[in-house]
Amino acid sequence: MKLLQQLGKNIAKILIFNGSKEREHFIITDNNNSSQGKETNKEKETGSSNGDGDSKYTGNDKNKVKGTGGKKRKNGRCQIKKPVRVAKSSLSVKEQELKNIEEEIKQKNFDFEELSVNSSLEVNKRYLEIIYSLPKNKDIIIREFYIALEKPLKAFVLFIDGLSNADIINNSILKPLMVLLDEGVKIKHGEVAEYIKEHLLPGHDVKLLNKYRQLLDFVNYGNTAIFIEGSSQCLVVETKGWERRSVGKPEVEQVILGPHEAFNETLRSNTGLIRKALRNENLITEMLKIGSRNRIDVAIMYLEDLANPQLVEEVKKRISSIKTDYVGVAGVLEQFIEDSPFMFSPQILTTERPDRVVSFLVEGHVSIIVDGGPQVLIVPATLFSLMHSAEDYYLRLPYGNFLRVLRIFALFISILTPAAYVSIVNYHQEMIPTELLLSIAASRATVPFPTIFEIFAMEFAFELIREAGVRVPGVIGNTIGIVGALILGQAAVQAGIVSPILIIVIAITGLASFAIPNFSISFGFRGIRFIFTILAAFFGILGISGGLFVLLLSMVNMKSFGVPFLAPVSPKTTTGPDVILRGPVWSMERRVDYLKPLDTRRQPKISRGWLKNPRQGGKK
Amino acid sequence: MKKILVGHWETAAFVIILIGAKAFLGYPRMVTDWGLTAGWLVVLFSGLLSIVFWLFIAGVLARFPGKPLTEITELTFGPFLGLGINIIVFLYLLFSTSNVLRLFSEASTLTVLTETPVNILALLYLLAAWLAAYYGIEAIFRCSYFSFPLISIGVVLVLLLLYPYFDLKMLFPLMGSGMGPVLMSSLWGTSAFSEVVLLTYLVRYFSFNPQRLKNVGVFSISYIMFFFIVIVMVYQMVLPYPTGSETLVPFYQLSRSIFLGHYFQRVEAFFVIFWTFTAFLQIATGLLVGAIILQDTFKLPFYRPLLPALTLLTFTTAFLPEDLIQAIKLEGEIRMVYGWIIAFILPIFVSLVALILRKGEDKVNGSQN
Repeated sequence: MKLLQQLGKNIAKILIFNGSKEREHFIITDNNNSSQGKETNKEKETGSSNGDGDSKYTGNDKNKVKGTGGKKRKNGRCQIKKPVRVAKSSLSVKEQELKNIEEEIKQKNFDFEELSVNSSLEVNKRYLEIIYSLPKNKDIIIREFYIALEKPLKAFVLFIDGLSNADIINNSILKPLMVLLDEGVKIKHGEVAEYIKEHLLPGHDVKLLNKYRQLLDFVNYGNTAIFIEGSSQCLVVETKGWERRSVGKPEVEQVILGPHEAFNETLRSNTGLIRKALRNENLITEMLKIGSRNRIDVAIMYLEDLANPQLVEEVKKRISSIKTDYVGVAGVLEQFIEDSPFMFSPQILTTERPDRVVSFLVEGHVSIIVDGGPQVLIVPATLFSLMHSAEDYYLRLPYGNFLRVLRIFALFISILTPAAYVSIVNYHQEMIPTELLLSIAASRATVPFPTIFEIFAMEFAFELIREAGVRVPGVIGNTIGIVGALILGQAAVQAGIVSPILIIVIAITGLASFAIPNFSISFGFRGIRFIFTILAAFFGILGISGGLFVLLLSMVNMKSFGVPFLAPVSPKTTTGPDVILRGPVWSMERRVDYLKPLDTRRQPKISRGWLKNPRQGGKK
Repeated sequence: MKKILVGHWETAAFVIILIGAKAFLGYPRMVTDWGLTAGWLVVLFSGLLSIVFWLFIAGVLARFPGKPLTEITELTFGPFLGLGINIIVFLYLLFSTSNVLRLFSEASTLTVLTETPVNILALLYLLAAWLAAYYGIEAIFRCSYFSFPLISIGVVLVLLLLYPYFDLKMLFPLMGSGMGPVLMSSLWGTSAFSEVVLLTYLVRYFSFNPQRLKNVGVFSISYIMFFFIVIVMVYQMVLPYPTGSETLVPFYQLSRSIFLGHYFQRVEAFFVIFWTFTAFLQIATGLLVGAIILQDTFKLPFYRPLLPALTLLTFTTAFLPEDLIQAIKLEGEIRMVYGWIIAFILPIFVSLVALILRKGEDKVNGSQN
């Protein structure tokens, strides 16, 4: 009976043209030009739909009224000439629309890109319920309230609990709209959102959006969306406020002299750290989004008056072309954009130090910051830049160069020591001084295994200790290295499994690999060490030579964003005195040529104005 | 397709290493054989003569900008005769590369891996060279440029460390076997510098103009000539003539003589890295240039598919000589004595005919206009 009565009322409403509510109904339904019914009743029940004259249908609803049968635009306003007869239906248009969307979502072919904010609050709420699977999804909050206008206007805020700052929402959104608003203020309904943005919300970052895709990206990132009855635009207020790690000390790239700040997991903190260190209006931060499921922000930073535009374009092209569902951290993005994924060496520099990023930006490089990770990518990278550390520049020239020479030795030791040991012991015993040879022979007398087995056993144990030291948590993790090294090494020697000299070889190799400043390339060299050892076992020093030849070939063949990996040495390009060793800071007058920066000169020929002797670089 | 270009420094390093590789094989011994105590004079004269040859060839190349010698030969002699000449050049290169492969493999067996079969070592050299040739000209040239200072340092180190054994008297009599034999051997001694002619087959990969190519050739020959002179002089000052003319691997013999006290004796194995590195580069170059000559001759779109067959061919040809002695004879008595005819005289002949007939030159200029 109730259903019949309701139906009768609805039919009566269709046939009898009655006031502003009906107008609203026609406007809302004109896209489909079909039925009505329950929605109108719902609006009536909630009181959200009110007859505020034509102003309600101006502005963003223009497109909706265009071309409909019963309406005509005049002076930017919609005027209803006559009612439109609609077909009888058990469902309202909105509900039908919602039902369709629901179906589409279920069939996984719904495209949020095209979905616009509806002027009806109820429709928007329903959309959000579908999109966010409400009420199942418990940390998505929709808080309904009335905006304290002359005639209270219904609205709701949407935010994610734990991601947004409750204080900002309470004090900067709800309080101004519900409490502080002067009741005498009269606002036309179509301009409510605009008025609120300009007069009521004190937030520093407020946007008006009308596409769901855009606003969902913001809400998913801790912002708050405000939906207002009758407005087909949504206000998005910056309210990010999740628990975050503060700016801490670098974990991997520690220095004694120099800044002790490191990036954290928040994109904006990281871009801020770079901006703080590089105060230049030409520093550009472009934002891209990648990942279809996590839609993560990726910032590209470069100096507009310095970085090669082709390089910037190439970076943007590679990142924006990525089609994947999830990119969590910089390391994953690196694998998507690097030139040679199967090569041993990284072609992109990863750093956790803002000062390092800045030093590359002022050279004309481009940095890529992925939200959610404390590492920043720098492109392009060469072998020499991967072998430099931040401290090289902070120390005085002789000390900095000493460190670099030490590191070059470390590089060769980490690759070649086990191979050289195997090669000498197996094939070139004459190279070992007689006393040492006798000592090695005596120590190996009790070892029943061939040298190659010894080497691999100890290398494997060493890698195991290293890996376990990283994985095992807390105090045990720190001690496992010492325990492993002492006990395992000592026990292995006493058990006659390995010779004592081998322990020294492995220990030196391990130490040397730790001295390589870039974690990623150190990993690569650790890997190829095994190949060299095998080659040495089969072909002695000739195998090592062959291995070096192939290694060099692969390196000269590698490129990082179009830049040869061994530049500026091979191919030879113009550069300042900062390749293997570095010159005095005042002699670094030119930027590296291989980047083709827009400004090649870093400083004038005479950078130390106080010097009087021209031979020392002073004024003539 | 990406345009591959290499610079003049890389090219110079490439030529120097290519020519210099024979210093690690039997070259000092051969020169000592030819000129006796005046071996260094043979090097000097043959180097100067090679520069003259090169200047002529490079001058003609400048008249055919961007054209490799294979194409100039075809333009001058027509497709059939041109093809025949190009095939002769290819066969010479194949023979030369194969013999170098055999000699380096034998030298490795003699010096560091005495129990390893020579064909296994040849395989090691060839596999690395194949990879290098596959990577292409850019990789080989850059590899040469990168390794050039390291190899130079290694060579200089060996020469300096031999200082205690220098005996100047060994260089006398200065004229050795007399001016006549010295000059004669200087003529065929130009074969030692003949690798510079390989540049004429690679001109389309250079980022610089023909004038600079000419300078690169002159610089490379002069540089390596200086090194050869020093190596031969040191060789003769350290090892007396009778011993010097019998050593199979002279440079290794020199490095074996180094004694730096009790803890640094017998470090020759360390220096093996340097000369084997040049071996890899030289064999890779032989494969690559051979493939490029075939590609140009038969107008093939790519050279890489030729590499497996060429590698196999080089391997089998390398083992045609029965033993090391025969391989050394082939190198010393055939390639070094007659190689200059194919390496220098043939291109000069082609250039002369091209100059006289002005056949291809007109065509090229016409097509450019």
